[in-house]
Amino acid sequence: MKDRSSYTPFLFAFLSLLLLALTVWVIWKDEIQLRPWKEYQQEYKELKASKLQSEYDEAVTLFQSSGDAQKLEALKARLEEADRIFQSKEVQEKYKGLAAQKDIVEASLDQNQKQLQEKRGKFLQVEYLYIRDQREQDKKTMQALQKEIGGLTENRDALLEQKSSIGEKIGDLTKEREALLVEIESLHKGLDEKLAAIESNEHMSEGIKQVHISDADKADRCITCHIGIESTYRLTDSQPLTPHPARFVYLENHPVSDFGCTFCHRGQGRATTSPDKAHGWVHHWTEPMLEGRMTQASCISCHEDTEYLRGAEFLAEGSGLIKKYGCYGCHMIPGYEGLREIGPVLAEVGSKVNYSWAVNWLQDPKNYYEAARMPKFYFSKGEAESIADYLFSMTGTTRHDTLYTDEEIDWDLVEKGKAIWGQSRCNICHVTNGQGGAHAAVHAPDLSKVGSKVSKEWLFKWIKDPKKYFPETKMPRYRFSDEEISALVEYIIGEYQDFDFEPDYEETVPIKAESIEKGKMLVEKYGCFGCHKLKGMEDMQNIAPQLLRAGATVAGGESSEKIGAELSSIGSKPLELLDFGKMKGKIPHSRESYVQQKLRAPRSYRDDLRMPDFRFTEEELKPLSAVLLGFTDASRPLRFIVPGHTRLDQQENEFGSHPLAGVFSQLAEDVKCLNCHKIKGHGYDFAPDLTIAGSKLQESWIREFLDQPDVIRPMLKQMPRFNLGKQLGMIQGNLKPLEIETVVNYFRTELVSGDIPATLPELEEAPEADPVELGRQLYDEKGCVACHQIGSEGGTVGPNITNVGGRLTAGFIFKYLEDPRKFSSDNVDPDYGFSERERVYLTRYLMSLKKGTNNAEISETRSEQ
Amino acid sequence: MKMLDTIKRSVLWRSIFRREYKDTPRNRALAIFGNIFMHLHPVKIRDSAVKLRYTWGMGGISLFSFIILTVTGFLLMFYYHPSVEKAFWDMKDLEFQVPYGIFLRNLHRWGAHFMVIVVWLHMFRVFMTGSYKSPRQFNWTIGVILLVLTMLLSFTGYLLPWDQLGLWAIVVGTNMAAGTPLLGFEGPFSEYLGITPYNDVRFAILGGSTVGGNALLRSYVWHCVVIPLVAVVLMAVHFWRVRKDGGISGPHSS
Repeated sequence: MKDRSSYTPFLFAFLSLLLLALTVWVIWKDEIQLRPWKEYQQEYKELKASKLQSEYDEAVTLFQSSGDAQKLEALKARLEEADRIFQSKEVQEKYKGLAAQKDIVEASLDQNQKQLQEKRGKFLQVEYLYIRDQREQDKKTMQALQKEIGGLTENRDALLEQKSSIGEKIGDLTKEREALLVEIESLHKGLDEKLAAIESNEHMSEGIKQVHISDADKADRCITCHIGIESTYRLTDSQPLTPHPARFVYLENHPVSDFGCTFCHRGQGRATTSPDKAHGWVHHWTEPMLEGRMTQASCISCHEDTEYLRGAEFLAEGSGLIKKYGCYGCHMIPGYEGLREIGPVLAEVGSKVNYSWAVNWLQDPKNYYEAARMPKFYFSKGEAESIADYLFSMTGTTRHDTLYTDEEIDWDLVEKGKAIWGQSRCNICHVTNGQGGAHAAVHAPDLSKVGSKVSKEWLFKWIKDPKKYFPETKMPRYRFSDEEISALVEYIIGEYQDFDFEPDYEETVPIKAESIEKGKMLVEKYGCFGCHKLKGMEDMQNIAPQLLRAGATVAGGESSEKIGAELSSIGSKPLELLDFGKMKGKIPHSRESYVQQKLRAPRSYRDDLRMPDFRFTEEELKPLSAVLLGFTDASRPLRFIVPGHTRLDQQENEFGSHPLAGVFSQLAEDVKCLNCHKIKGHGYDFAPDLTIAGSKLQESWIREFLDQPDVIRPMLKQMPRFNLGKQLGMIQGNLKPLEIETVVNYFRTELVSGDIPATLPELEEAPEADPVELGRQLYDEKGCVACHQIGSEGGTVGPNITNVGGRLTAGFIFKYLEDPRKFSSDNVDPDYGFSERERVYLTRYLMSLKKGTNNAEISETRSEQ
Repeated sequence: MKMLDTIKRSVLWRSIFRREYKDTPRNRALAIFGNIFMHLHPVKIRDSAVKLRYTWGMGGISLFSFIILTVTGFLLMFYYHPSVEKAFWDMKDLEFQVPYGIFLRNLHRWGAHFMVIVVWLHMFRVFMTGSYKSPRQFNWTIGVILLVLTMLLSFTGYLLPWDQLGLWAIVVGTNMAAGTPLLGFEGPFSEYLGITPYNDVRFAILGGSTVGGNALLRSYVWHCVVIPLVAVVLMAVHFWRVRKDGGISGPHSS
């Protein structure tokens, strides 16, 4: 009892205060601290207000200075005058009188309408009775009613006329005023709209804003803070109020209201209480936001083809790298199934290369040349020798090196070989001493030191028929005679020697059996068969794609699955399933940093990892990791999916896996047309797209060109000559006559477009002058000469059109002039919006440009440097 | 005045207010008899019963937290769908979008933890003061059942956010149920009863053999309807029994 009186009131007071404080804290927290967007929205509103205000002020100044203001004053004065007249006693009296008359007429009209309705109703009733009973009496009533209705209708028409005439009279009195009002309003409209914009901005509602994607049950509230993301105004450059970068690519095609934000950017779209939470940069949120170029990772979720997707260039870079380094050899990667192994067949490598070269290469391919694509496996010299022993044991029993440095050189032969080398344009694909290799996409090996690497016998066999050794090679088969090949081999081996090469096995040494065994084990362990075809291990790759299973790994050589981890959902793999191992704490604990570190130093997580080191640069890591992060198993609405070429082709059932058919396809495969040209979406971009070549090119020109490729492009883009004459130096033609027929036929029947007319349309009115001359005038007027060259005159941005009339068809030129970008989005020709007539004239003129027939001087720059 | 008298004499008035306001012993007794809450509560309370040092006030605090949980739980039900597609996102919306939603949810969550602790301490106090002894054996038993109900409320509520924590807690919890003798398919002797994963006690709890939409719905119904109802009834009995057993036990009366 005593103690209660002493402390209870204080305790009670303390607890009450505590409760009060907590209540205040709760309110503060919920109203202010957990609503950071309030501040952003306020700021945005202010920025927008000041922008709108300044625009309004500008408009007002313009209004004053342009004389609109005086005009307005004048109109207002006239309005006042008109008002005065209208308000004057006599006019008012007249007006009121008319209005009263109008009221009376309207009342009678109402009355009339009611009567009419009643009579018509009655008529229908009687008509029904008459039809049923056929009574004479009813018929009479009907006639009477009919008459009455007629009278009423007449009456109504008269009343209506009266009404309109009164209306006209009233209109005469108010007409001027109304016209003035309309004029004043239209003059003021621009300013009023701007004022309304200011007003509506002031009343902009504050609050959480969201985009709800109902079919994915997504609610993205990002626009609560990023309130100006879709705006075309750039009010500020700082986040979160700045608009989306490159909105013409991203937002135009993916409006926020349809797509939200997190399909592409990830993060926690529902969060509103802090930027970190919203961006998913918090513990336990497994999808942190993707920023900048990395966001392109998400394109893969919906776009099946990203190779030429605008805005996904970073991704295309990444996919290019996957193809370049053949990641799919070891990993199961969606979209890369069934691609060929990137390494050469190793079945006969023992008869191809020097043993010392092979050991050196295996230890580090970059020792041989910097651009080597093969990764470093960190083999010791002993291990490298075992592998080399295993490979060499397939064709022989000894370690051996063959050198040609001491041989006598047949200079005549070398000279002939050099000429063939030049005409065959070997340097388009192959680099030698830092020269050539313009067509990098085919990854032809650097030949600078090839003389110390391969044997003459092998090189001869290789050039004679590359496919015999390596069926999937990209190297074309040139139709050389044996003599020519010998010359070429002599030239290559003699010219491209490596003088630092130190052979260890000029004296052959027998291979030991245990070393072979060890080498085989290493080959199986590290999965060399992922990139190279190896005898006895073919199944290991062939079966692989069918055994799709998450986390497929291989122990030893028994399994026939891919050796690397399956990557089809690496982008959504839970963080706790990623083994950071030794790197834990040293790199950020995120999926992105995991993937990048894996690419940077594949074996850094644990010691026993097998993935080799590709020595990616930081610039390569990022696009690669973007592609990998794009492989997720996240679901998205079906309506988002953009099917790829392959699927569309299959759906249309137009062409199968190969775009070409018949004899032509064999020929094209032999000389590798698709190495440089693109046909129906297949092949490379190095040389012109041939998909519509049949409609585009004149038959005679195709024939002539194939027979003897002309110089229409710079040196390293010229078409190679696949077949040289029987006698050296005598150029007889590129392809054999029969082959040329095949190509021409195929072009004419298959590679045509229905869009391109066979002939020029007839003009309705006859031209007033010679159309060719009119075309020439147009050519001068539009400044075509700035980019195109005729003879030696003109710019070099566009193609030289000296012989365009001998090369292209009239229909193509006509169609091309209509919309150059229709044929390739890369074309830079401006769209002049030519009329059909103009296009006909221009086409006529261009068709008149033929080699040797026009006035311009033609410089034949055929060079065989 | 006259009208007031008429109203007060009306059947309707007297059916609601069954006694006079005048302070007489009879009216005071009637006030107790006519009021369910007063009926549950003892008429007289001993001095020692309000001593904090002796009772710790744990029974009262348990009731108080039960009331808070009922009120907040009721409000949470307005924002929550017990379905696999929506449950987790409803949690997120409570956090990010509903005004005072995070406060509401935290109050419910922490209140639940608090109640479990308090009920345990209540039991501990009752045990240490020997209040379970005659004549309070029956009420002790009711109390034990209430303790179990409190923990079941806690367990069923765990799954409702449909997050990893709750999901795995229920996986573990129900797998333990699968080990029940006779009734769980992993328990001893269950094979004699023909128990399989598809007819055992775990199946009954989950509405399936794995934690899924059915388990979530069952948790929800148990958590929001059945267990609270049973607990309210038992609490009424518990309080009434305190009164019938001679009020809150006190220090040994001298």
